[in-house]
Amino acid sequence: MDLDKLLETGDRCIFREPPTCTANCPVHLEIIEFISEIEKGDFQKAYKLMEKKIPFHRIIGQICDHPCESFCVRSAAGGAISISELEKAVLEYGAAKPKKIWPVPKKKGKVAVIGAGLSGLTVAVDLDKKGYEIVLYEKTDRLGGRLWDHIGESLKEENLSEELKLVKDKGISIQFNQELDKNRLMDLLLEYDAVYLGSGGWDEQLEFNPKTFQVDELNLFIGGKIVTRNDSVIFSASSGRRAALSIERYLSKVSLTDSREREGIFETPLKQDVSETEVIIKIEKQSSIYSKEEAIQEAKRCIKCQCRKCMDGCNHLRKFDISPYAYVRQINHNERIILGTHYANKMINSCTECGLCKEECFLDISMKDVIQDTRESMVERNKMPVSAHDFALKDMAFSNSSRFSLVRKQPSKEQSKDLFYYPLISFSDYVKGLYHGTGKTEYLFYPGCQLPASYPDDVKSIYEYLVGHVKGDVGIYLGCCGAPADWAGRQDLMGENIEAIKKVWEEMERPTFILACSSCIRVFEKYLPEIKVQSLWDIYAEKGLPNKDQIKIPQTLSIHDACGTRENSDLHESVRKIASKLGYNIEELKYSRERTKCCGYGGLVYYANREQSDGFVAERIQESPHDILVYCTMCKDLFVSGGKRTFHLIDLIYPKDNEDGAVKKMPTLSERHQNRSRVKRSLLKEVWNEEVDEPAQDDYQLVIPESVRQNMEDRYILMEDIQAVVKNAQESRKRFFNPESGDYLASLKREHVTFWVQYAQEDDKVLIRNVYSHRMEIVEE
Amino acid sequence: MYQEKKDYQSWICDKCQKELELTKVKVHYLEGEFEVELLNCPTCHQVFINESLALGKMAEVEQGLEDK
Ligand code: SF4
Ligand code: SF4
Ligand code: SF4
Ligand SMILES: [Zn+2]
Repeated sequence: MDLDKLLETGDRCIFREPPTCTANCPVHLEIIEFISEIEKGDFQKAYKLMEKKIPFHRIIGQICDHPCESFCVRSAAGGAISISELEKAVLEYGAAKPKKIWPVPKKKGKVAVIGAGLSGLTVAVDLDKKGYEIVLYEKTDRLGGRLWDHIGESLKEENLSEELKLVKDKGISIQFNQELDKNRLMDLLLEYDAVYLGSGGWDEQLEFNPKTFQVDELNLFIGGKIVTRNDSVIFSASSGRRAALSIERYLSKVSLTDSREREGIFETPLKQDVSETEVIIKIEKQSSIYSKEEAIQEAKRCIKCQCRKCMDGCNHLRKFDISPYAYVRQINHNERIILGTHYANKMINSCTECGLCKEECFLDISMKDVIQDTRESMVERNKMPVSAHDFALKDMAFSNSSRFSLVRKQPSKEQSKDLFYYPLISFSDYVKGLYHGTGKTEYLFYPGCQLPASYPDDVKSIYEYLVGHVKGDVGIYLGCCGAPADWAGRQDLMGENIEAIKKVWEEMERPTFILACSSCIRVFEKYLPEIKVQSLWDIYAEKGLPNKDQIKIPQTLSIHDACGTRENSDLHESVRKIASKLGYNIEELKYSRERTKCCGYGGLVYYANREQSDGFVAERIQESPHDILVYCTMCKDLFVSGGKRTFHLIDLIYPKDNEDGAVKKMPTLSERHQNRSRVKRSLLKEVWNEEVDEPAQDDYQLVIPESVRQNMEDRYILMEDIQAVVKNAQESRKRFFNPESGDYLASLKREHVTFWVQYAQEDDKVLIRNVYSHRMEIVEE
Repeated sequence: MYQEKKDYQSWICDKCQKELELTKVKVHYLEGEFEVELLNCPTCHQVFINESLALGKMAEVEQGLEDK
């Protein structure tokens, strides 16, 4: 897999981009962290964050003109966060004694700083800390420049004096009463390694680089009002800090311009959507400064702006608490390690590949595609954990074996009389259908593998309906589309499967496939674009429903669209049309149609990480107070087993007497197999009048208590596995015996799995006590 | 991976009617091969693996090897 391309995708994710407030703070205070500390009541930590980013934070914290606030997105929902008031509160409640800094030996070079206003002082202090020898030239007899104009309500004279005294205490040499002119400046440029000019009163026009503040190619750097051309203290301090960095780079002879794109204020790509944010009115201070409690309340209003759109919709990303940015990095690491544990495997196999993330992301970042590529790469490199998808792939092999797979043309008119009705009274509502056959297979009904497994009794009715309603012959094709192979990253198996389907299609002279399963629709679109497909639900919507007199009591349902049909808006319409024709009222879910969620089965997550699958189910079913309507068998089965009343369209179109379709339980894994085989046999017998072999009788009559049945489901153990173990044990006596309980314990390796069965014999019955399995093999000596 | 004999001493080999003994047995999965002490029949050597071993330690080692 192309790892550079992968990383590029991840780097497009703006999860880590700063909020607009920080981007518009000229010194980039980490406002979210700052506010979060206040919210926790930790004013000391908040103070440290100010100290880290704001030059002379004890002064600026009191007088900053806060350009950040006018960009705060909260302004549209109750008023901008009072960041500057919060800073004042933090100075009040969280201040710590300045750290004692040991003077660094001054041997890196000599810098003259002209003007002891805010920008000059910032340069002086920043460079002094870095080990430069500084001489300050000030035209008056005191430090601070225009800072003295700010003495008033929040900035106290004694505080300013105290701060300025700290500068003197550092041992920076200061020359007062120095009125400098152009000639004097020239002398200084020769005398010093670099000169900073921050005197607001300088009239000379100077050409400077707007990024580095260097004048021409000289060792002269400028800042303060000459650069900012306004009275803002924070822009002035920021310019000093940036000039100091330029001087440092200049004197260390490294690039002045490298990676400085985001200095000062910049535009952040983060676009916070506040249209759904609850309005909360700004907290007004009750005295001259916020009380601690007021500050905490104000901090709570901050949205902590961050792009989490995909995470908000996806249970998987939230469960692993990971953004696509970080996810891609973990995949990259997972792909690169040769020796050592691939820690991200489990996560990669827990994505349902539902595609919602891409739908939600305004940059169209698709984790579905990333995960698909990754799984394919893992398979290619032989790094895919076998156990993750083994059972699902075996299930697919079953469906494509002779136990289920079947292809038949529609029987001739004479032979297929039962499949349709001649109209007794023309235009009657009760006409089931007409003979539309032509002898050419125009359509091939492909119900997929899960619908026959869950609704074995309805496949024939659906087929009858199709024969009676569409123009041309309708054949039938039973099998599995290959979705499990696709999700498992098994391109080898997928390729074979596609070829097999194509062959049938060609042999049948290229009929249109009628698909009932949303996974089939997805697979056909992706791998078989040359085959024309039609959804079964579109046909019902267009041709009318088979049982017009079966409409139930009106009820409101929420539709859960299948994630495989995300882009198929016609299908979404058809489903709604069918439901309303049947008399149901629809209440849409927030995440529906192209924004639908996965039920938890997609991507084989149901097999690879049951807990993750359960997470999807639990989240989805609580989104609707009504019964849910689905049109994918797996959605239905998962929701019902999660305890939610859920109808499949089939339950509504073919309602059963005395059965509540909404609670119909998922057949067990073994029953799914049996049901598929049964569908094949009954179609052959009833429609094609063919002789069929009855399934071989079970060797043993098993009695299985409910708790063991649950274990079979959770551990992917089939009835036929148990039969095989018992048979082998009974015949060979290779088993263990417990004289106290009278139980036997036996095992048998079938393909890659060793199955263990604990059982007791009672007359001709075998009572199953427990089942489990493992994949590790015992090396028989 | 280990077993404690006392927990399972009631089980015997049905074929040989022998009590099980703890001896070193070779197991392998994917690229990994280990020697572990497991209960087995002293005569026919069939190895006894109970539920907690299969679903506990064994599954853990399998997972670890699959992620290697
Ligand atoms: S929606 Fe998700 S992937 Fe897209 S930018 Fe935001 S966090 Fe990143
Ligand atoms: S809501 Fe908070 S994070 Fe967002 S812009 Fe305003 S202060 Fe910054
Ligand atoms: S494809 Fe679906 S499950 Fe996977 S990350 Fe995207 S939204 Fe989440
Ligand atoms: Zn023995």
